[in-house]
Amino acid sequence: MAIGISLPRIDARPKVTGEALYPGDINLPGQAYAKVLWSKRPHARVRAIDTRAAQAMPGVLAIFTGDDVPVNEYGLITFDAPVLIRPDVTYQTRDGEQHRSASVPNPKSQNAKSFDGVVRHVGEKVALVVAETEQIAAHARELIRVEYEDLPAITSMHEAIQPGALQVHPHYPGNVIKHYRVRKGDVQAGFAQADVVVEDTYFTGAQEHAYLQPEAGLGYLDEQGRVTVIVAGQWTHEDQQQIAHALDLPLDQVRVIYPAIGGAFGGREDMSVQIILALAAWKLRRPVKIIWSREESIIGHHKRHPMWFHARLGAKRDGTLVAAQVRLMSDAGPYAYTSAKVLGNATVMAVGPYDIPNVAIDSQTVVTNNLPTGAFRGFGAPQSLFVAETQMNKLAAALKMDPVELRLKNALRDGSLTVNNTPIPPGCTIAEVIQQCAARIQSNPASNPKSKIQNPKSRVGRGFACGHKNVGFSFGAPESCEATVELHGHTEIERAVVYHAGADCGQGAHTVFVQVAAQALRLPVEKIELVASDTASSGNSGSASASRMTFMASHAIFGAAHAALEKWQDEERPARAHYIYRPPPTSAMHPDTGAADPNITYGYVAQSAEVEVDTETGQVRVLRLVCADDVGKAINPQQVVGQIEGGVVMGLGWTALENFVQRDGHVLTEHLSTYLIPSVMDIPDVVESVVVENPDPHGAMGIRGMAEMPLLVVAPAVVAAIHDATGVWVNQLPVTPERLLDALERVNTTQ
Amino acid sequence: MQPFTYAAPTSLAETITLLGQNGEQARVLAGGTDLLVQLKENRRQAALVIDVKRIPELNVLSYSVRDGLRIGAAVSCQRICAEPAIRQAYPGLIDAVALIGGAQIQGRASLGGNLGNASPAADSIPALIVHHAVCEVAGPAGPRDIPAEAFCVGPGKNALQPGELLVSIRIPPPPPRFGAAYLRFIPRNEMDIAVTGAGVSVVLNEAGDTILSARVALGAVAPTPLLAQEAGAALAGQPVTPDVIEQAARIAQRAAQPITDMRGTAAQRKHLAYVLTRRALEQAIARA
Repeated sequence: MAIGISLPRIDARPKVTGEALYPGDINLPGQAYAKVLWSKRPHARVRAIDTRAAQAMPGVLAIFTGDDVPVNEYGLITFDAPVLIRPDVTYQTRDGEQHRSASVPNPKSQNAKSFDGVVRHVGEKVALVVAETEQIAAHARELIRVEYEDLPAITSMHEAIQPGALQVHPHYPGNVIKHYRVRKGDVQAGFAQADVVVEDTYFTGAQEHAYLQPEAGLGYLDEQGRVTVIVAGQWTHEDQQQIAHALDLPLDQVRVIYPAIGGAFGGREDMSVQIILALAAWKLRRPVKIIWSREESIIGHHKRHPMWFHARLGAKRDGTLVAAQVRLMSDAGPYAYTSAKVLGNATVMAVGPYDIPNVAIDSQTVVTNNLPTGAFRGFGAPQSLFVAETQMNKLAAALKMDPVELRLKNALRDGSLTVNNTPIPPGCTIAEVIQQCAARIQSNPASNPKSKIQNPKSRVGRGFACGHKNVGFSFGAPESCEATVELHGHTEIERAVVYHAGADCGQGAHTVFVQVAAQALRLPVEKIELVASDTASSGNSGSASASRMTFMASHAIFGAAHAALEKWQDEERPARAHYIYRPPPTSAMHPDTGAADPNITYGYVAQSAEVEVDTETGQVRVLRLVCADDVGKAINPQQVVGQIEGGVVMGLGWTALENFVQRDGHVLTEHLSTYLIPSVMDIPDVVESVVVENPDPHGAMGIRGMAEMPLLVVAPAVVAAIHDATGVWVNQLPVTPERLLDALERVNTTQ
Repeated sequence: MQPFTYAAPTSLAETITLLGQNGEQARVLAGGTDLLVQLKENRRQAALVIDVKRIPELNVLSYSVRDGLRIGAAVSCQRICAEPAIRQAYPGLIDAVALIGGAQIQGRASLGGNLGNASPAADSIPALIVHHAVCEVAGPAGPRDIPAEAFCVGPGKNALQPGELLVSIRIPPPPPRFGAAYLRFIPRNEMDIAVTGAGVSVVLNEAGDTILSARVALGAVAPTPLLAQEAGAALAGQPVTPDVIEQAARIAQRAAQPITDMRGTAAQRKHLAYVLTRRALEQAIARA
């Protein structure tokens, strides 16, 4: 058996010894160096960009602006963001008519209305300087003179949707990118039946991915003359497409390679250095390298969506849920990125994993002049589940009912109708993970670690939460994954080569690919050779996101392996087969009702948190966290536990520590000394991973996606534990010490 | 990083000459944990960086029951914390010294550098103040002593005159029934800059029921680490009771004049000055 064993990661040795090369470690002879000139202004019209002084500096090779980008736009879902900035120049034609140069749409661009000439957030890339050395590039960058006309910055979602509010982006009238409307049953009639209703307003903050490796890369022309970018990303073929679009090149003229990747978590789904490196290398016909500083990384890529919620939940006296209503709004920043998809997910998960007969959800994602927001582990589900689960915990308190019992009474089960009025995909195991998590706490109460704070002002409490999230792309988005398997040898298979584009962002995907291939081919893992993450050698894998890579790639590798074995039987040498896995189709939500089959399948998780609160300082320590996650089949149990432990810690950061502050569109936490992520000392004393293995009917060998699940419900479990300890509900994330102290004081004053 | 000239003199005299010749253009480098970051980010300028780690006087680390403790300005936190005798005699100082950075930073960072950098939030300075530490300075006009509480004169500014160098820090031997403690508040558990810090020391009578004298010093609540003399005075001659401790902590809270910044609001800092002073006093009394 090659699966179900904790095979040491195939990249463990090179990473530990430092042999592994990350994008910033790779160099080519004759390479030039690039620096980005950032806007540092949240909203301004760019009247002119004067590059003459910078251009004249010895050693400067080129300065690119939006005028140099053939099709100056990018975006994962829609092309609505400029690669670089073209100045907005108003000029008069001979017949006296006023024209703005930047408003002339490029015929290649897909959008009728141009959006150029304006910077809409502080991390906008105005220009790219390329020079013989990094120092010259940095110095020349300071010599570029940009003439800005500052515009008022819209930095609040609520302000953005006011009638008459300044329009942030011409594509989004009313400053709304997308809204969803979900109606199931009759929500008014539902609330009329309710004995108890809980209602509250919630807010969740932005989060920075803070991956170890800030953005870096190398652009060059390969031996076939293709513009090639070595970079860290999540989807080689998507990067390739966006580069080809912006440079107006055929796809086969563009190549993307991922070396070792230092973390991603959704933060590398949208373009960072990909297009600008390709542009510079293509124009200059020589290698060009860039490395962003941590501070550039923090303003240079999107964040987790801040979200606002107003939620009502109604139940009968016995705990039966009868109605749920949620209004929610997310701050997209000025460009779409993946905001509409994240909003869709937040909508589907907005009332939690429960069977509720009457539901109304209205959601919208709004443009502002804050930093763009997009994919981040959980993709909208953590925000919604914080609210849905806190509502459930408040309901349990109001009903004086055990939170576990309340959940089990209402949990989705196979056959239940979701908010989308269609049955939950078969294999729904939310009740199972709830029971497993609860059982672990019951069976092992003695493991409670003793207090770290040990002061008379500390209080200990425990909280519970659970949740679900889609695995794979949603809402009818094209979803597939390709693999190629090549078998070498004569009478026996001596060596198998697997070609797969899937990104190993540090989660261990490549090790999983090797294990799955070995299993499918019934070969020892040593005989599997993996050629990975290069558009020149592999078909499209889709992204390493949405907890989908193990789920999708296993199907693809199994398919390719079986096809190759058939050819091997037919005596083809080498036997080579290509396979494309296409999962069951999904569909978009109906605009009026939300009716849909939005997702292929879901992952399920339940958590219990035990915290100690210092009621005098507001500091929260998480003492113990139990996470039960149904992974279907653990291909590599050690990596599964790694994902659980990492996801829990990342969730704790978002819950209690990571306070990403933007004021008037400016980032005030652009250093890791002011944006505090958990350190090794902040990890709970005990993190117990309960690996549940109920096969998913859709999964190869029963595999379920799991990478995001451990993060999903850390926040509501911790917030419930804080309530258990102190009697205070906190409705805003992160729960900073000061926020909690304020809440405690408010309660003390009113008592 | 900005280009600079690097010098590594081996004598005090040579260093003082270099400092005198280069004036504001020169910066002293001990561990570099503050200076190198500041140079990289253009928050400080330097044409000449003088590495003082090769000067014998700045590497002294000596302790005796009779003479107390002398810490050379370039001695790393790690060296201080590794000395059992120092740990035993000055646990309240170790509270602060052990908090500065993670293991790697501990191996580089020096108390001299922490003083020289003169951050209002520096962890070691309130602890040094309550231990009656004296900064031993050398310069063109000869040696002089500056009490720790007078060493910082503003955010990032210290009392050294042009050409002067901090050589070492002298801490008197602890008197009988002396106890000290330093506590700080940070949102996470390590490697962060204090939102507020509180150092305290007490000397108790033989019976241990009366406070003979006390010092309270606060960090991150004023432009410099702050000796809250009123709080110390309020404790002197008082019995060891929760009320006395409570009142002194409230006085420290009133003495705090913090600002609101990324790490905390003024209100939170004033509140923390009270909580931390009270808790540090309880700990110091227990150690005395």
